[in-house]
Amino acid sequence: MFKLKVSDAKLLRDMITSISILVDEATFKLDPEGMKLRAMDPSRVAMVDFEWPKTVFEEYQCTEPAKMCINITELLKLLKRAGKDEIVELSLDYKTGKLQVKITGKYTRNFTMPTLEASEEEVPTPKLAFNVKAKVTTTGLSQAIEDAQLVSDHVRIEADNEKLAFNASGDLMGAEISIQKGSDTILDLEVKEPAKATFSLSYLTEIIKAATATSDIATLEFSSDMPVKLDFQQAKEGKLTFYLAPRIETE
Amino acid sequence: MPTLFKALAELGEKLEATKKRLLMVDLVSSFLQNLEAEEIEPAVSMMLGRPFPKWSQRTLEVSWATLHSVILRITGSDWSSFLKVFNETGDVGSATMAIFEKSKSRKQVVLFEKALTITEVRRSFEAISETSGQGSRGKKERQIAVLLGSASPLEAKYLVKIFIGETRTGFHEGLMEQAVAKAFQIPLELVQKASMIIGDIGEVASIAKTQGKEALAAVKFRVFRPVDLMLAQMANDAAEALREHGGVSAFEYKYDGARVQIHKHKDDVKIFSRRLTEATGSLPEIAEEVKANVAAEEVILEGEVVAVDQEGHPIPFQHLMRRFRRVHAVEDMAEEVPLKLYLFDILYLNGESLVSHPYTKRRQVLAENAGEIPLTTMRLIDDLQEADRFLKEALDAGHEGLMAKKPDSLYAVGVRGKRWLKIKPVLEPLDLVIVGAEQGYGRRFNWLSDYYLAARDSETGEFLTVGKTFKGLTDAEIVEMTRRLKEITVGEKPRRVNVIPKIVVEVVYNEIQKSPKYRCGMALRFARITRIRDDKTPEQADTIQRVREIYERQFLKKGRYKAG
Repeated sequence: MFKLKVSDAKLLRDMITSISILVDEATFKLDPEGMKLRAMDPSRVAMVDFEWPKTVFEEYQCTEPAKMCINITELLKLLKRAGKDEIVELSLDYKTGKLQVKITGKYTRNFTMPTLEASEEEVPTPKLAFNVKAKVTTTGLSQAIEDAQLVSDHVRIEADNEKLAFNASGDLMGAEISIQKGSDTILDLEVKEPAKATFSLSYLTEIIKAATATSDIATLEFSSDMPVKLDFQQAKEGKLTFYLAPRIETE
Repeated sequence: MPTLFKALAELGEKLEATKKRLLMVDLVSSFLQNLEAEEIEPAVSMMLGRPFPKWSQRTLEVSWATLHSVILRITGSDWSSFLKVFNETGDVGSATMAIFEKSKSRKQVVLFEKALTITEVRRSFEAISETSGQGSRGKKERQIAVLLGSASPLEAKYLVKIFIGETRTGFHEGLMEQAVAKAFQIPLELVQKASMIIGDIGEVASIAKTQGKEALAAVKFRVFRPVDLMLAQMANDAAEALREHGGVSAFEYKYDGARVQIHKHKDDVKIFSRRLTEATGSLPEIAEEVKANVAAEEVILEGEVVAVDQEGHPIPFQHLMRRFRRVHAVEDMAEEVPLKLYLFDILYLNGESLVSHPYTKRRQVLAENAGEIPLTTMRLIDDLQEADRFLKEALDAGHEGLMAKKPDSLYAVGVRGKRWLKIKPVLEPLDLVIVGAEQGYGRRFNWLSDYYLAARDSETGEFLTVGKTFKGLTDAEIVEMTRRLKEITVGEKPRRVNVIPKIVVEVVYNEIQKSPKYRCGMALRFARITRIRDDKTPEQADTIQRVREIYERQFLKKGRYKAG
């Protein structure tokens, strides 16, 4: 059987929210050491790589490895019913395939939801060599992305030894946001060679917004016209990493 | 090696580029030879513009409105630039390709490239068709976006063609039969016969490849898989029918109803409409009636369903169509519009195909198996005066006219021939396709109330406008028609739209005139829509050749009149 318990519902909710940005249905891999998920959005533009070792939870129990596919949107609806400090317990009955969501706080709620047929597709890790690695605060990153979104639906991220810059140009308006090395936002900037790549803001905004709720520090890695890797540092030993494919602009 | 969808699209381009049928057959047959066994049926269906095999009740349920909004979104184009390319090509597929090419300069790439295979495309179609219910429109849009998003401009062209169900490559089912015969070295006749029985050339091709000639020769009708209907040609009068049928004909009432094909296996009954879509849910009492009366374990029957008033007299066809469209609260509707079933044919009984028995023999078997269900009123007549009297009798009883069937004729699946003739006394109405519409004036200012009517050119497959009318529909029908037309609009000018040829209407008119107004050189005078033929597909509508024939005939009569 599989069972887990978290004492802060918000933690679980924020994590599931980040996943829900890319997929409606998610197949979690459960084993005695923790739970993992690697999923690609249906259009194959972005993927999420998520790991939660058992140490993250108050209680974690998994007798034998299994796959659990659930409708993320539905699960999120249930988790939204939980208040900030309420306790959430998930338990999966391997035989019936039913997932039980128990929320305890002011009163006790016991929801059950079905699990779905697990996807067999294994999502590989993109093999990429990065020229830029920037460690930034998620607040600073969110601000820059929100600025860019005012004028366009895509943004060009550029980096050289001096700065990290965000360039957005819409039909009528434009924006240039530049963050100098040494500012409060940039914690570290390593540049092997200057690089720039353009990304769809519809993905980027959602990813950063959701992941910021779970993390204070993000590491961006990219090269020119290549996918960006966005790693959001987790409080305990968890892992939340996104990959996003670029938009290629040829004149 | 899985075959790429790209290969199918490239084949489509080659077919489009030639008019030589032999070359087309050659190209397709060698393409078929190179496919994996499980790719054959999907590929054949797609080449004919179908996402699924013909017998399948699956549909994509994707409106043009949905499709074009996805196309615009993923290419980042707007409506006016789409219109511009559409007006240049006149083909939705080609317009899609052009606009995909234009948008290439800014392209969202994916993390892992995955080539689109034929199998993959079929799987996507299946997923799209399975998406239904609440919130399904958004999900369908995402699924379509994923499919089109991974397509090259050329692939997108052919995907869109399949979505809207017309390939315009000029490669039709008849040629596909030839290609299958050639590819797997099987006599054409055998392929045609198997295709008629199974009802899907794709599956025939698949059997031909995997199991060979013997298996193909042994195929049988399958209950719950609709069989293509035998269709009738129009005759001018009873005299023509008697002449065609060698002096004696089986005349029967032609009811103003809807033709149905009824399949039964034990306690299961399914009813298929004239378009071979299932209508069991809308006609529960008919299914019950068959269950209660037909004892045979397995049977395929044909009949006519007529809407009647409380006294059992036939009432207009439009009420019947309301029944067919009804999905919810069917029982209320069943009470409001009672139906009557008349049977007239039997194609299959307990494992035995009856299609090669003569009509009179089939009627006999039918009578033995119909229980209390009435058969159509039929008389074998060899005398013209008697036939004319019978026609008058049918008309007096409120029916449309007579059918005349050659007594010894077999059931020719999917064939429209002279063995069955229909006799309607007036200038026959035409079933035409709406290809455009204009907004009206006054009260109808905001509605698309003026319709361009077109007949299909059976040689080129093009729809040629033959007339325009704002007469015949009620206000409620116009409102509904406006909504439906907006969903299939492909071109828009102020107060005027062009639409995908989808909606068939029955049109009466006073005469067909010679006219320079339309490209076909003819125009209907005083056209008026008498009913919306949702039971017919555009392919089943009347042809321009038929219109010309009627035109010629009028002309001859006029000539004689002057001479006399």
